[in-house]
Amino acid sequence: MSTRSLRDRMLDPSDRALALLLLSPAIVLILAIVAWPVAKLLANSVMDVRLSQGVPVRFVGLENYAAALADGMFWRAVRNTMIIVVVTVPGALVVGLALALLANMPFRSRGPIRLALLLPWAMPLAFVGLIFAWFFHSEYGIVNDVIRRLGYTPQIWFNSPALTLAAICIATIWKTSSFMALILLAGLQTIPNSLYEAAEVDGASKWTQFREITLPLLVPSMLVALIFRTLTAIQSFDIPFSMPGPGEETQTLAMYIQQQAVDYLDLGYGSAVAVFMFLLSMATTWVYLRYIRGDER
Amino acid sequence: MTAPQSSQALRWFAAAIVLANGFFPALWILATSFKNEVELTAKPITWWPENPVLTNYIAAFKDQPLPVYLMNSAIVALLSMALSLFVATLAAYAIARLRLKHRQLILTTIIAVSMFPLVTLMVPLFEIMRGLDLLNSYWALVFPYTVLNLPVCTLVLVSFFQEIPRDLENAAMIDGCTRLGALWRVVVPLAAPGVFTAGTLAFVNAWDEFLLSLSMNSAVAYRTLPVGIQMYQGEYAFPWPTISAALVIGLVPVVIVILLFQERVVSGLTAGGLKG
Repeated sequence: MSTRSLRDRMLDPSDRALALLLLSPAIVLILAIVAWPVAKLLANSVMDVRLSQGVPVRFVGLENYAAALADGMFWRAVRNTMIIVVVTVPGALVVGLALALLANMPFRSRGPIRLALLLPWAMPLAFVGLIFAWFFHSEYGIVNDVIRRLGYTPQIWFNSPALTLAAICIATIWKTSSFMALILLAGLQTIPNSLYEAAEVDGASKWTQFREITLPLLVPSMLVALIFRTLTAIQSFDIPFSMPGPGEETQTLAMYIQQQAVDYLDLGYGSAVAVFMFLLSMATTWVYLRYIRGDER
Repeated sequence: MTAPQSSQALRWFAAAIVLANGFFPALWILATSFKNEVELTAKPITWWPENPVLTNYIAAFKDQPLPVYLMNSAIVALLSMALSLFVATLAAYAIARLRLKHRQLILTTIIAVSMFPLVTLMVPLFEIMRGLDLLNSYWALVFPYTVLNLPVCTLVLVSFFQEIPRDLENAAMIDGCTRLGALWRVVVPLAAPGVFTAGTLAFVNAWDEFLLSLSMNSAVAYRTLPVGIQMYQGEYAFPWPTISAALVIGLVPVVIVILLFQERVVSGLTAGGLKG
């Protein structure tokens, strides 16, 4: 077979058709599971769709949105979600950075360290919620045991919304900081050792080296990890669901959406609240992307 | 900061903190799962059960259909993993190798899908699955999980496909392979590490998912493990030792997967900077 006919086959005009063919399953799935539902979400959010009431579906304009803005439970859910975002995103970054620096030491075998960082990442969030609910158990939990040993008064954690949120944040930080650490560890390992050696020669202290070399060079890995961490924190569901406080006091936005749509079958209202969450996610991504671009300039 | 002078003691200290942080919750649940009623309620707490019992494990199987939950989770996770690997392999090959208009647009779309809040998709998906009478079926989870994992799998596979020299493919095509033949016989086997990486990430994501599973499959027969494990709590009682035993059993597959594929997973997570 001559080279010419091979090149013909390589640059076959049917290449483009083949590419489309290969991409089509992905396109069909994304259309069916993302694009179509999003269109339905937007349509439902301006309709009265209450499947449980047997009332006919009708157009209500922005009524669902107005109802949400006037709904105390919606705002409570927003507040709880924002608390989780504001506490656990920086919390996971700080703990993750500490874990990454510790894990970056020259150990003889890296296997156990790597496993210790992977286990929290791989553990289902719902499991983490249950495990930490047991940690914070008022009678037999290990947290109160330690508090008692230290001579302080044990707390009934899940009787107080504030303490429940604190427990939820601690569980979330534990679960997510390891992933942060893995990303930052990969970033740390790309920093050439020669930079530190040069700084050493110049007499820079360890702290100066950390501030002037390590931190600035880690910023790109941090930003990527932070975008995803913030987006998942906005969607917090599994851990707060598994660690319920008194009543529905510690409900998050995602829990409120799920309750309205699945438990009460009020799809119109649930969709409107979901659109709010979508806008919140978009705004977050936009802010980060702007920051990244501003950084490059 | 890999300072060679960092002392042995400091290294032990660092290792102790990282290991304790990573393993303590799982070990504590393991200890709880072997405790009898007396030790469970002991104050101050006993760290390790002095008289380990297996009754909690028996209860874990008796109180809830644990094997059903495990089976459902395995079916859903493996099916969606296989489907996302298949679809992602085709898409990644087109992106990495073929002449393609709007390559950047396609990649951006894929990344945008990975940033999409699942909670907002849950509401319309619930309605669609309800309309199609697919609530309480494996498909109600398999299709969404496949799409959920498509971005991760595609990005990982694209980066692996790009590493494979084109000459190997061309050689196969000189020998009479078609493009698709070359993809399955040459490219995919050479990118096997990438396939394992993508597959592991897809499996773990699907195994762990909770919200969709809770919303779509409420029937016992189709309930997956993360949802099923919440069902041990009664109206008034929270049987912690039984829950602990169930959690330990539920963690075994996760631990096996990360033990087998730890290096693959780390490279996959860090290569794409993907979500966790």
